[in-house]
Amino acid sequence: MKPEDIQDLKELIEFLKQHGVAEFDVDRGDLKLRLKFNQPAPQLSELARAWATAPAGPVPQTQPVAPTSQVPAPTVPGSAPTPAEDLHLVKSPIVGTYYGSPSPGAPSFVSSGDHVEKGQVICIVEAMKLMNEIEADAAGEIVKCLVTNGQPIEFGQPLFSIRVN
Amino acid sequence: MIANRGEIALRVINACRELGIRTVAVYSEADRNSLHVRFADEAICIGPPRAADSYLNVPAVISAAEIANVDAIHPGYGLLSENANFAEVCRASNIKFIGPPPEVTRLMGEKEKARQTMKDAKVPILPGSDGVLGDESEALTVAKTIGYPVILKAKAGGGGRGMRIVRSGEELPNLFQAASTEAANAFGNGELYMEKFIEQPRHIEFQVLADEHGNVATLFERECSIQRRHQKLIEEAPSLQVTPQMREEVGKTLVRCLTHIGYQNAGTVEFLMDEDGKLYFIEMNTRIQVEHPVTEAITGVDLVKAQLRIASGEKLSDILPPKLEIRGHAIECRINAEHPRKFTPSAGKITAFNVPGGNGVRVDTAQYSEGVVPPYYDSLIAKLICYGVDREEAMVRTERALSQFIVQGIDTSIPLHQAIFRDEDFRAGKFDTKFMERFLARQTE
Repeated sequence: MKPEDIQDLKELIEFLKQHGVAEFDVDRGDLKLRLKFNQPAPQLSELARAWATAPAGPVPQTQPVAPTSQVPAPTVPGSAPTPAEDLHLVKSPIVGTYYGSPSPGAPSFVSSGDHVEKGQVICIVEAMKLMNEIEADAAGEIVKCLVTNGQPIEFGQPLFSIRVN
Repeated sequence: MIANRGEIALRVINACRELGIRTVAVYSEADRNSLHVRFADEAICIGPPRAADSYLNVPAVISAAEIANVDAIHPGYGLLSENANFAEVCRASNIKFIGPPPEVTRLMGEKEKARQTMKDAKVPILPGSDGVLGDESEALTVAKTIGYPVILKAKAGGGGRGMRIVRSGEELPNLFQAASTEAANAFGNGELYMEKFIEQPRHIEFQVLADEHGNVATLFERECSIQRRHQKLIEEAPSLQVTPQMREEVGKTLVRCLTHIGYQNAGTVEFLMDEDGKLYFIEMNTRIQVEHPVTEAITGVDLVKAQLRIASGEKLSDILPPKLEIRGHAIECRINAEHPRKFTPSAGKITAFNVPGGNGVRVDTAQYSEGVVPPYYDSLIAKLICYGVDREEAMVRTERALSQFIVQGIDTSIPLHQAIFRDEDFRAGKFDTKFMERFLARQTE
């Protein structure tokens, strides 16, 4: 990298840190950059308490060891903030890369405010060179797209919030 | 990327950290708060709790490897580690699979092909059927040639399922059906083959390492006869039954054979030893094994690091010491989350977890206080490995360490291990693979 590029990069990193950005990707053809910032890792007991308050199958529920008024949610890098309303989240059924439109340059499948039917294709998650069409699992109005084009997606990651009819 | 979970995922992450290799963990929703997720540089959720939908889901694993841009995948043990198709998909996706090439995995993974390969290389094998048995009448003919007792085994599996011991021609037809059905249910393939059955065998296995330049080395043996229903409970290295001469002979033969088939990376060759001390090849595991730490303890070689270094092209002569020697004795106890007498699995939240330490004590675990043991996977929660200058010291250390290994909130096999270490026959080294049966029968008397 040229010295001026390095200086630009340093400024970029400072800017991102100041604004508490967790992850930053850029793919500009001539430059591909991926930055991931260390998040303050939650203590193990906090994680365990969060687990205890999020039921999953036959795991017995127990009281947290030390009473706290507010248990902070563990930071999951790249996940969207939980919506304030009681909205339905469409979650990814597979691991892959998110794309909002059928091909580069084409219009997006859906935008905020659009009404969708159950089963309607709302985005693509690409996995192993296969474009998997992701369908809305509920009918309603698209409130927000929670991810960005080209973003790596985990299993279960929320993609869209929908206000169900 | 580590395509596994639990203690082995953490083991691989540790080796990577020490070698300066970046790590990516994959996890199911049930493992969100696991240590292997916590300690990897990156972690990606790949599916719901069921292993088939997550850890065994090849597209999900590969997709995660692609979005994380990994160079290699370490498959651990179990799960996808001996899945030749998975190794092939890795190769096609330009991701280095840390293990032998798919062709070799396939060769050694099919029991009768492996037997034939070993037979051709003059490795002694158990008398058995020439491949898969067509039907019961063929089974009866083969059994007559071999001589009862014989054992029927599933072509596609292991771990004790799809297996039946047959002591006479009258029992054979029914047992043949039972084994075939069980195998079809467990592995999707009901085909069976047959072997001579040794009544009181010892299970002796040899550790091997091979680089990608045609060099193969053996790192001595492990004694794994303390098993319940074909699941190992206690392993040790070296075996008191293997003489230096036997060790050298088997070592040389294995090196010759594995060089010939182009083996690469880590592997274990399993033998049965009969009452006269003769070894017979039964199968090869083309991966790192659960009990690898006992070999590490007596040789000083870090086997997982060796795997990583081999996969990056290094030669064995740079990885192994100039002269491999056995020093001391090591014993491993597999601590399982199950009731020590009833063996019922015990999932749930661990409320107290004190891990023993001190000289000569190693614990490999991914559990912690307030951690949860999920019900979806195997019950191994920790491995206790104790080293001593000889077997006496290794045993005394194990007893001391077991007494300080406190796990509350779930049942564990710790009391069972403690009872085994008090047993006269075990202490004297007088045991075979039937030991646990006899031991448990004595407990209920």
